[in-house]
Amino acid sequence: MAIVAETTKFSKVAWPVLAWIVALVFFFPIFWMVFTSFKTDADAVKPEFLFRFTPTLENYTNMTDNYDYWRFATNSIITSVSATLLCLFVSVPCAYAMAFNPSRGTKDILMWMLSTKMLPAAAVLYPMIFMAKSLGIYDTRFVVILVLTLINLPIAIWMLFTYFKDIPKDIIEAGQMDGLTTWGEVKEILVPLAWGGIASTALLIFIFCWNEAYWTVRLTTFNAATLSTLIEGNRAPEGLFFGRLSAVSTAAVGPIVVLGWFCQKQLVQGLTFGAVK
Amino acid sequence: MATRAIPRLLQTPAVVLLLIWMLVPLSMTLFYSFIRYVLNSTVRPEWTTPSFSNWRGFGNYQFVWNNDNFWLAIQNSLIIVCSILFLTVILGVLIAVLVNRSFPGLGIVRVLLISPFFVMPAVNAVLWINMILDPVLGLQGLAVGGINDLIGGLRNAPLVGGFFNLWPEFSPVSFRATQTSAIAVIMMVTWQWTPFAVLIFMTSLQSEDQQQKEAAILDGASKWSQFRFLTLPHLGRPIAIVVMIQAIFHLSLYAEIEIVSRGAGNKNLPYLIGEFANNNIGAASATGIFAVILANIVAIFLLRMVGKTLME
Repeated sequence: MAIVAETTKFSKVAWPVLAWIVALVFFFPIFWMVFTSFKTDADAVKPEFLFRFTPTLENYTNMTDNYDYWRFATNSIITSVSATLLCLFVSVPCAYAMAFNPSRGTKDILMWMLSTKMLPAAAVLYPMIFMAKSLGIYDTRFVVILVLTLINLPIAIWMLFTYFKDIPKDIIEAGQMDGLTTWGEVKEILVPLAWGGIASTALLIFIFCWNEAYWTVRLTTFNAATLSTLIEGNRAPEGLFFGRLSAVSTAAVGPIVVLGWFCQKQLVQGLTFGAVK
Repeated sequence: MATRAIPRLLQTPAVVLLLIWMLVPLSMTLFYSFIRYVLNSTVRPEWTTPSFSNWRGFGNYQFVWNNDNFWLAIQNSLIIVCSILFLTVILGVLIAVLVNRSFPGLGIVRVLLISPFFVMPAVNAVLWINMILDPVLGLQGLAVGGINDLIGGLRNAPLVGGFFNLWPEFSPVSFRATQTSAIAVIMMVTWQWTPFAVLIFMTSLQSEDQQQKEAAILDGASKWSQFRFLTLPHLGRPIAIVVMIQAIFHLSLYAEIEIVSRGAGNKNLPYLIGEFANNNIGAASATGIFAVILANIVAIFLLRMVGKTLME
């Protein structure tokens, strides 16, 4: 922990106070959303009820009637969890092989994989929609899971690769001497040692899947629509219903924000691809 | 041979999946970009099915190239991405330096600061454009109304009343308007991504060489020159990472643009593609290929920069 030497009494108080103010300013929009969710739609737009109002839970209890929240939430949970698992299933072996048996092409393959992330989604959206429609998988959870897996695969491989790279090779070699198979290496050595890395990769991919809007909104209409579709679809005509809009927004981001709080450090470290220690 | 075969085998699924993911839709887009392909046409129904007989050559590219919206979209894409990068890096460095000390509640400050990063982009846009920026019902409208009331009250006050009579009425800004909608997008995305920059820079600052810093203090280096010659160079690599990851995400910004103004005044390339694709798939595909070229230009620089640091 780096601590800048404090010189004056003033800076001892002023900088922490400023840090607190900045943090509160950044958090304010989220606080305001949660706060507004406890107001009725009528109260939410009245200046006289800005801070003093009678809190109500009706926006939450009516969420199912107003928005059919649970259908969207179920789709979000199922697609995000499945895509995360599928993504790990493909990326863990790949990253393992790249980290422990790198060949001359490994670096280029990794670079190429990251470059697929640079491919603008809009450029390939319509072929995907046509293909999904002709295969009869448009607006199914299957196609959402597939696309979420594919768009997050490069990031997953990169993150896992950087975690695996830090594991000393000697341990793996010792395992090989002891006659472990490849599967044994993965199970007995890699997973226990890289558990933290795998877990934070999984969490980050889950968050990206949950928040993904571009693909999920455009590949679904009703049956497989996720929470992103719910929010994006309801914005305009609901402009006046700040109370219920806040409630459904809170319900859409709440689980992820809380999840993020618990693992912020690992998540950010993972996203730097190990280049920032 | 067997020792090399297994690693290959383990990589195959990922490589094959990504190869298909990249090649199949992209070659279809490339094909569509060279043919006349529309979704609805009563005059030329044969154009509604993709086929080589509707070959148009570079016609779609020409059409897009000569379309004013295309240049506007490129301009908007670059303005939005560059402004966000500029703001998040500056704010990120400042806040990271500010928070990089021990004080009561540091843990809570970190938690509060990172929160916006986890908010769904659609919720971010809905929240900002309605509840915060709306000129009548949002906090902006309420704040401007409050200030006007305050000034109005002070006008009748003795002594200072004359001074406040000179003040104009403030009018709230509509962020859905053409002139301001790009600013709204920049604002909300900066809010969301500054925390990401802060946490990365903070992580990096914690590994800064303290002995070097103490030596600099003993030598009488000012706070500013410590920052300029020690801290800032130390942050070079994290800044590169922040720029790369954000560029990946912001070049394909869509939800925010759709929700703020449906592309009026802040239309970027992905949004323009969506507009073309309402009917003209050929033009949409040609725009898509242009977007791929633009992304590649950006990617070549960024990947080079980051690639070097990553394999060490």
